[in-house]
Amino acid sequence: MAPKKAASKTLNLAPVLDLNEASALHRKLTEMRGSNIVIDASAVERVGALCVQVLMAGAKSWEEDKHAFTLSKVSDAFTKTTQLIGVNVDHLMAKEI
Amino acid sequence: MDMNEIKEIFFQECEEQLAELESGLLRLNDGDRDPETVNAVFRAVHSIKGGAGAFGLDDLVSFAHVFETTLDCVRSNKLEPTQDVLKVMLKSADVLADLTNCARDGGSVDEARSKQLIRELEALAHGTPLPGAAEAPVAKAAAKPAAAKSAPAATAPAPASPAPNDQGFVPVAFSFDDFGDEAAVDPVAMSTFEISFKPNADLYRKGNEATLLLRDLSRLGEMSIHCDMDSLPSLDGLNPEDAYFSWKISLRTDKGEDAIRGVFEFAEWDCELEVAERAEGEQPDAIEGEAPMQAVPFDLSILDEEPEHPLGVVEEEEQIAAGEREATVTALETASNVLNLASAAAKAADAKQAPANAASAQQAAAAGQTIRVDLDRVDRLINLVGELVINQAMLSQSVIENDTNGTSSINMGLEELQQLTREIQDSVMAIRAQPVKPVFQRMARTVREIADITGKSVRLITEGENTEVDKTVIDKLAEPLTHMIRNAVDHGLEMPEKRVALGKNPEGTVRLTAKHRSGRIIIELADDGAGINRERVRQKAIDNDLIAADANLSDEEIDNLIFHAGFSTAEKVSDLSGRGVGMDVVKRSIQALGGRINISSKPGQGSVFTMSLPLTLAVLDGMVVTVASQTLVVPLTAIVETLQPDAASIHSFGATQRLISIRNSFCPLVDVGRILNFRATQANPVEGVALLVESEGGGQRALMVDAIQGQRQVVIKSLEANYTHVPGIAAATILGDGRVALILDVDAVVAASRGQPLRLESALAAVG
Repeated sequence: MAPKKAASKTLNLAPVLDLNEASALHRKLTEMRGSNIVIDASAVERVGALCVQVLMAGAKSWEEDKHAFTLSKVSDAFTKTTQLIGVNVDHLMAKEI
Repeated sequence: MDMNEIKEIFFQECEEQLAELESGLLRLNDGDRDPETVNAVFRAVHSIKGGAGAFGLDDLVSFAHVFETTLDCVRSNKLEPTQDVLKVMLKSADVLADLTNCARDGGSVDEARSKQLIRELEALAHGTPLPGAAEAPVAKAAAKPAAAKSAPAATAPAPASPAPNDQGFVPVAFSFDDFGDEAAVDPVAMSTFEISFKPNADLYRKGNEATLLLRDLSRLGEMSIHCDMDSLPSLDGLNPEDAYFSWKISLRTDKGEDAIRGVFEFAEWDCELEVAERAEGEQPDAIEGEAPMQAVPFDLSILDEEPEHPLGVVEEEEQIAAGEREATVTALETASNVLNLASAAAKAADAKQAPANAASAQQAAAAGQTIRVDLDRVDRLINLVGELVINQAMLSQSVIENDTNGTSSINMGLEELQQLTREIQDSVMAIRAQPVKPVFQRMARTVREIADITGKSVRLITEGENTEVDKTVIDKLAEPLTHMIRNAVDHGLEMPEKRVALGKNPEGTVRLTAKHRSGRIIIELADDGAGINRERVRQKAIDNDLIAADANLSDEEIDNLIFHAGFSTAEKVSDLSGRGVGMDVVKRSIQALGGRINISSKPGQGSVFTMSLPLTLAVLDGMVVTVASQTLVVPLTAIVETLQPDAASIHSFGATQRLISIRNSFCPLVDVGRILNFRATQANPVEGVALLVESEGGGQRALMVDAIQGQRQVVIKSLEANYTHVPGIAAATILGDGRVALILDVDAVVAASRGQPLRLESALAAVG
């Protein structure tokens, strides 16, 4: 299902995505519902399982909303952590054009 | 905060953990079977191990690990903490303390002893009989780990007890990052484990992090993982702090199930964890409809940048900044958080201690907030406050001199200042006040060791460990107390057979008590042994020319002979005591602290040593008096009352002695000026004031002084440190007018009045 042409909002993730950040991230994502979103994870130095949960729940909701949920740039720490905990984010990565 | 500072804090915390360990073991020894006590003991050893691992203190880690393994058996009810088991554990706690001291201060530990204990601990953990001292350590073969989920540590697989190296220490595998994972472990058979890990929300709430646990797990070997996200709702239904992910992990490792469970050690209450070994050749269960296992990248070093892991910080320059950032934050919190910097394990230990409820955790943190302050800083503050007191007294004095009516507002302001100064001083003193508990705990070890050497069975009972006293006093208390405890066990208590024959409990009791009484701390050491053999003491004193053969001494006087230099009644000189240097040294140390020591003994029932010490060595409430135009300070605690003698109440007694009649009893009158050689002849008592003082023996004396100037708090300045010891004088102080006043040593003066000359070695003389 091709996402509708719509302006994308960008969310820059904080460097430390720990327990404290999970609620904030949840709130930010909830507020950004309704349009395509581009997540910039290039600054992430540390990400905990709770924030990965929020992000994956976000991806699920965006899919339900039929909007695009894309990870534009990801840091090495972000990639390694998601690989470590067995969460595949490849399908969310922005495809090179 | 650099590594040395963190290390120093680690050692400080080690002291606390060791104290916790010892008190926990003693509670267990007393029959306490509360699982929390066992947990506290386990945590103490585990925290020490964790911190030591982070600092690469291998000897400490090796020993702590073996100790911990055995404690784990107790914790999981596989090993009954009997007296024999606890005896080994208490000794191990001693060795652990030695190893910690050794790691901090250098030096060496008794290697044979620690090796022997390692063997004993291992024997306990494996349920085998305690090995003899000569037995070689048993190298455990690489046993096939049981597939059972709860592989008991008693049948621990190879990695938990690999072959000891030539020092007898068992190399150990650790899950902490930065602490040579692979280095220490002998290669053993690889096995594949299927692990199912489902965290609860509490796991995160308590500060644990699934990603870190999984990272540590991945370091044990080759890991592939599948994250089960089925229960993950969409954003609307999501509680961001709840746990939805769970994991199925396949881990190929040579480290064994214990190592795997070790990773989850402090999270095990907050997750569902299943670990099962897959039999050779068996294929992993194909999970219908689930994504295949994803291999975990081997190089996860980038994830080490988490500031909680300071060794990563040390390794890479850019990580230092991260470490410091975290250090700044945590230093504001509790000190134990700082150690978290040093070790992920310690962090986990704290998390485990944290109450489940986050709010109550915060409350607890607020209630018990402490900071560590360098003692030098406190001392500087105390010195400054001392100077402030003197300065304030000087100021008052000059105002009084220039303001004859004494009603000016300056005068009133000064009174308030005086009160404030006093409060500041009390508060500063309170900073230095510490419970005597650490000293008492050290005594427990002394008792154990001496009991072991002498073959006696001894039980140490301590009371009032939380009684607070100045740190200086505490520091100087340990040595005399150790001497006395040695004496009590070695000389005081009888051998078990003899005790039984006497109808006593074969186990002797030594009771150590601390309490506050009238501004002093009273420490009592009582044993239920044979008591002082007065006949022998007397004979020995006659043999040593200490007393005349026909001297008529009271029981108390005979008892106090043991404090005389060179006095020892031990039939044979033992390693422990009996060299005749014990009790006089004790007496001198106590006196140097401004304290007194007394003994009372009942034949067949035991002896009681009572020490009375000042709460602080820095200030003193004193009565300022004039004697032969000199100003002296008499410690207020010694004074019972003051009176103006009239001629009728003074009676001559013999050639030079005079008595004063107070409420129908006679009390010897002592002219302080004469005793201290301030004047050649005795002053007329009617012209002066009598201070009724109580000496430590309980007898009263009336000290004659010329006049009383007033009562004030004075700052003690040591004469010994600044000049030299002056007989009859305890210390000096600086008065408001800037002059030095001497503080009277009441006991020495009283003793001198009995005809004992004032001399430096007045050990016997000062006895009441």
